[in-house]
Parts: sequence; structure tokens; C-alpha cells
Amino acid sequence: MGEQTYLVEMRGVTKDFPGVRALAGVDFRLRSGGELRGLVGKNGAGKSTLMNVLTGVYPCDAGEILVRGKSYPRMTTTLSRQLGIACVHQHSQLVGPLSIAENVFCGDLPTGRLGLVDWDRVHRGAQERLGQLGLDIDVRRKVEGLSVAERQIIEIAKALFAEAQVIVLDEATAPLPKNDVELLFGFVRRQRQRGAAFVYISHYLEEIFELCENVTVMRDGRSIGDYPVSALTPESLIRAISGVEVERFRHASAAAGGVPVLSLRGLTRPGAYASVTLSLAKGEVVGLTGLEGCGKDALARGLFGLEPMGSGEVLLEGKPYRASDPRQALDRGVAYLPRDRHGLGIIGPRPILENITLPILSRLNNAIGLLSRRRESELVSRLISSLDVATPSSAQPVEFLSGGNQQKVVFAKLVSAGPRVLLLDEPTQGVDVQAKVEIMKIIDRLAREQEVATVVISEEIRELLDVCDRILVMFRGSIVAEFRARDPGTTVERILGAVEGAAQ
Amino acid sequence: MSTQTALVPRLLDNLIWLLLLLAGAAFSLLTTQFLSVNNLTNILVHSSVLGIMVIGQSFTLITGNFDLSAESTLGLAAMVGAFLLAAAGEPSNGSGWMLHPALAVAVMLALGLAVGAVNGLLITRMRMNNFVVTLSTMIIVRGLAFLLTQGKTVTRLPASFKVLGHGSVGPVPLSVVVLGVAFGVAAVITRSTRFGRDLFAVGGNRDAALASGIDPDRRILQVYLISGALAAFAAWVELGRLGVGATRIGEGMIFEIQAAAVIGGISLFGGRGTMIGALGGVLLLSVINAGLNLMQVSGFAIDMVRGLVILAAMLLDAQKLRYRQPVRRPAPDARLAA
Repeated sequence: MGEQTYLVEMRGVTKDFPGVRALAGVDFRLRSGGELRGLVGKNGAGKSTLMNVLTGVYPCDAGEILVRGKSYPRMTTTLSRQLGIACVHQHSQLVGPLSIAENVFCGDLPTGRLGLVDWDRVHRGAQERLGQLGLDIDVRRKVEGLSVAERQIIEIAKALFAEAQVIVLDEATAPLPKNDVELLFGFVRRQRQRGAAFVYISHYLEEIFELCENVTVMRDGRSIGDYPVSALTPESLIRAISGVEVERFRHASAAAGGVPVLSLRGLTRPGAYASVTLSLAKGEVVGLTGLEGCGKDALARGLFGLEPMGSGEVLLEGKPYRASDPRQALDRGVAYLPRDRHGLGIIGPRPILENITLPILSRLNNAIGLLSRRRESELVSRLISSLDVATPSSAQPVEFLSGGNQQKVVFAKLVSAGPRVLLLDEPTQGVDVQAKVEIMKIIDRLAREQEVATVVISEEIRELLDVCDRILVMFRGSIVAEFRARDPGTTVERILGAVEGAAQ
Repeated sequence: MSTQTALVPRLLDNLIWLLLLLAGAAFSLLTTQFLSVNNLTNILVHSSVLGIMVIGQSFTLITGNFDLSAESTLGLAAMVGAFLLAAAGEPSNGSGWMLHPALAVAVMLALGLAVGAVNGLLITRMRMNNFVVTLSTMIIVRGLAFLLTQGKTVTRLPASFKVLGHGSVGPVPLSVVVLGVAFGVAAVITRSTRFGRDLFAVGGNRDAALASGIDPDRRILQVYLISGALAAFAAWVELGRLGVGATRIGEGMIFEIQAAAVIGGISLFGGRGTMIGALGGVLLLSVINAGLNLMQVSGFAIDMVRGLVILAAMLLDAQKLRYRQPVRRPAPDARLAA
């Protein structure tokens, strides 16, 4: 095949970030005349970085980008747009309070003779253009009233109006319910028939099999392979994605018998989870996994009092437990590590010390009711060294730390409260491989040394197998399967099957 | 690398004392009277009311909230206090009730707390924007002060009431002692109490504060109560200093209050700053005012210079945030990149 048959060709693309080689000589191609190509890999594999290089967000340090056979050594966001490359993200870039028509014409509203907006032309024009794409939708509706799928379709349509021929969908379906995914896929297939090429980034492998013709697999900043989807099975794709772990941590169970620390019976919150029954032993680490929106994180937030808990029986060390706000949860020894570290975990401008002692300040008072700074700094330096937070001092504002160290500070905060139950929502999200292992070791040590009962919520099943005693799978709000991590029959594939609803 | 990144913010945090020194040096060269005991005492006396107001404002700012109404609360408390204390008819223009000074102070503080409660409840319970709420109450409360005495000036206040703004301990004016004590207490509260720490957490990241077991709404309501009460307390000092109650007391002062706080390192975006820094901001503004007066700069130009100082302060604050922004390290995963 000659070069001309490629719409986009990236050759040997390399990108370094301080301390990390994000891309190491990646090749990536899109055929002309339309293609639906999946791009898969673990978090941190370099998928988004590769697309950011393609769209000119990051300049590449080495390598070449060719569009329609012509090389562009200095790709910029403006240039990529002119070349017809567009990116649709998980979070909508549309203007919510404006109508669909206004969004379609955003920045280029047709005006009449007096320079006033010609609303008739705006509405008719938008209706017509969307009609040409096979969309029948009332263009006067406000974008904020649309479903997520509808918004993404409007965004793709906008990109197509701007003559885009390559459209990157970066985790576009993560927030979508099932039938909306069908709506989006139908639209994408129709546009592919018209010659548009799509790069589809997703963690949901069944979607790759459903939608894509070809798939590129990335791992650790490299392109591992380029396969037609028809030549793959889910198992072979998962193997290609995960590869062989360099360092692997294995948790040794410390689960003790006796009265369960936490037990839930028939806990139900309509719209979030239904009749959840589980019990957690002292020192036990239980994994909780499932698709986005299956209720696993809602359950943790409910138990911590950030959201209503719902109805049903909850016992903590044998006594009834309720938390209507986080204070009550913390006072009963239930601590929560939020998935959104920046939104809920750290107080960026404040020092490490203040972040760590926030939940326990009232316990650090001296005789005259003031904070004992000596006791506080002793406690903090103990935690910093035991969790191995890399920092010049405890006065360092947390926002200056790396993601992994920030996460350790949040852990230190939870540990300072001396919890009985830890609810960890995606504890290794957004931290590098080394820090991931360290965080798993912390979880393991808390379980063994302090007999903390831990729930680890994660979609990284391999990690759950490494750190947990048991793994529970939630599907549409209910626990549908339970696996023992040390059971020889427990495999990533079987758990993934349950995650996708095979147990139903 | 880490020492370098820590040095710049540290310098920016202590910039205020350097500026104060520079301004002092400049004015002592430009005028002969600047370094006189009389002038320096004057600067401190003029700092007292502003300083008390800045403490209240700093509390709300640290939680990420404005209290624009503070200047009107000061005016209303002063007018009501004077009205309750003074005799009726010209030239006193009071109510004629001649209330006991202690009672009058109690009423003033209650008024301050009431304005604070209205602000705090509207912001936390009704989920209204703090700027809009306190802008509205600023106008309403000032209107109330005018309504009460129809804009007349109330005079002839009892001496026992005026002692706070007028009296002195040996050579030191009582208002200066009050200023020092107030900032000392505020510094201890912000540094060494759970309440103070909570304020920084709420302003630094409200949701993370909530998830750490803090009730942000309760803290925000509390800082508005404190701000209102301190405005009323400042009214007591101001009435003593001026000797008369005028409806325009405190009018336009909010800009100076905010400027002093921000120059002193209290961030308008919440979560950052120290009380000692805020005191530095108060002193710097007073030094500049006094210096320009000594140089007999025309009143019109003084306003302009003050405006420029406030602008420079805001510029500094914006720059500081930019300096403090950690190096944007795109995660290899780069899910944040958009």
C-alpha cells in the first residue's frame, strides 16, 4: 500500500514529560475513505497523549505526522483543525444555556442587514444541516436539556460541519447509558459510510468489538500491535492490553474471624443500588468492581454520608450505623478516599501538615483548648515517614506534590483518624506504576497491622486480584458475583464477564 | 528545585514588610515630620478601625467569601449607638433616651450579629452568591442608617462611651492597644484552633473540607457573624475617635478593607493568608495615607494614588497565584488534557 492510502500516518512519535517517557516511537495509521479504529490500553498507556500529539496539543519530541501524505513537522491545534482533525471528549464542550442551533453556529451566527442575528436563518440552517446528517431534532432545545449521548452527537455534528474528517472520541461513552450508546454508534456508523474516520478510545472492550474495524493496542507508551477486530477474541485483546507486569504485589490475607466489622443487609437507595448485602471481617480487603454507574462508588459515598445511605440494615461492629454527613462517619471510624483527588481529597494551597490533621484537630488540643503544634507535628512526621511521602517538609503545600504523593497525603489523613473501615474509591487512579505498588502495600499493611477492614473500589481488576481477599462485582446496583482472589478458577476474564453482566 | 519553588512564594508572602519599610523610608526622606512620634502614633490610631474591619473581612475571605456589607454595618451600628446615647433635638439629634453606654454597645453588637446572620443564612441556606448577597445588604443597611436620623449628625456622646477611641493607657492610645490585642487574638485563632484551620480548608477546597468532616456551611455562617460583630465593635472605636455619629461613617471603606487584606496576603480566592500579613497590609495603607497627607498632596490625587495602590495589590495577588501554580505536569495518561 502506498502512502496516499493513509488519511493520517504517525511514524515513530516520541513524547517526554518530566521524568516520564509518555510515548516511545509510536506508529499509528488511519486509512483514507473512512475507518473505525479502536485505540485501547491501560490508564497511562499513552492513548490520550498520542491523540494530543495528533491534534497539536503537545508537540512531539521526535517522529513525524503525515496527513494525506503530507508531513507536518509543527502540528498545532489550529493547524490540526484546518486539516480536519477534531476531538470529542468525555466532558461536553458545548454551551449549556444556548440552544442546539446557537451551538451549531457558535462563533459564526448568520446576521441580517442591521448586524442583528437572523434567527430564522439560524434555526432553519441548523435544522437543515443536522437533517443532512440524518438527525431529526428540535434545534430550539437548549443543550443543557439534552442527554449526554445527544450532546456528543451534536459535538460530532459540529466537528463534521467544520469539515472534520478525522474524529477522535476520547472515552466518549464512559458516562452513557446502554441505549444511548446504541444511538451514538448508529450515528458514527452512518458518518463512516460518508468517509469520515473515527478513532475510538475506550476501556469498554465490548464496545470496541461492536463498533470498530481495527484496533491499535498501546502499553507503556508503545504501540503493541495493530489488529483487525475480526482476528481478536476478548481474551487475546485483554492479554495484549495488560501484558506482563514488571513488579507485582501480592497481598497476603489477614482476614480475621469474629463479628464482622461492617455488615450491610438489603441496603437500597433507589437509582443507585439495590439490596446490597455484604459483610467485612477485621483485616479483610474486599474489592468492589463493576461498570461506571453500577452503584459501587455511590455505595461508598452513601456509607460515608456524602450522599443519602438509603434504607436497609447497616451494622458497624455489631451496632446500628448511620451517617448523614462525613463527620458522623469519621467519628464512628469509617473513612473514605475519594476518587476525585483534586475535587474532594486535597486542600491544594494548604501544607501537608494541615491536610493530614484536618479530621482529628479536636483531638490535638492542649490544656487551654489550643492546638498542640508539637503533638501535631510529631504525629504528622510519623505518618509522613511511615507512608513514605516524598517531600522536603510537612509545610509544603500539597499542590506542589506529585499525584502519587498527594494520594499518600490523603491516605495519611485517613490513617490519622484511626479508622476501623476504609472505603477507597479508585485509590491508584492517576498515579504512576511505582506509586501504585506503594499504595497497594499501604492498603495491605493497614489490613495486617491495624486490622482495618477495607473496601477497594476499582475497575482495574488485575490490581484488585493483587490486593484483595475477595472481589465483589456490582451490576446495575446489585452485587451479582463474588470471587475469591486466591481461587485458581478466578481469572480476569471471568470477573470481566461478570462486570459486563454475564452473571445475569 | 524544591527550595527554589518554595522561596518565591515565601518572598511573596513577606513582601508586605519589605514594602512597608520602603514606603516608610521614602516618606521619611520626602517629609521632615514623618518619623515624629506624633505622626507614627497617628498612623497607628488611624489603623485601628481599619484593622478591626480587616480582621472580619479576612475571616470571610479565607473561607472564599466576600463581606461587602461590613462598611455599612459599621455605619449602621455607629448611627444606632449614637442615636440611643444622645439627647433629643438640635444640636444632639439623638433619641433622647440617653441609654447606658454598656447597653448601647450591646445593642450595636446585636445589630452587627443580625446583619452577619442575614448574610450567612442567605449564602448557606439559600445557596445565594456571597458577592451579590453582601452587595445588596451593603446598600440596604446603609439605607437603614440614613433612615434612622434622616442624615443628621448626632453629637454630644457620653465620655465613658468614647473612651475606647479617645482614651489612652499612659502614652499609648487605647485604640492602638485594641488593634494589637485584636490582631493577636485573630492570629492565635487562625493558627492554633480547629476553627481557624477549618476556615482555610473551607476556602482552599470546600468539598474536600466536607469530606474531612467539616461542616462548611456552619463555618461560613460563623465567619459572617464574626464579621458583623467586629464591624459593630469597630463602630464603637470609631464613634469614640470622631466624637460624633454621621450617617456616612464607613462609606466606601470596603475597598480599603479589601485592599489592605489582599496586600497583606489574604487571597480573594480563599484558603491563603495570615493575620500578621493582613496587619502589614493595614499599616502599609495607613502609612501611604499619612505620607501623602504630610506631603500635602491634593485630596483628589490621594484618591487616585490609593486607587493605584489597590490595583497594584490585586495585580500582586493574581501574579502570586500564577507563581504558586505548580508546574503543570501532564500525566502520561493525560486524561486532564483537553
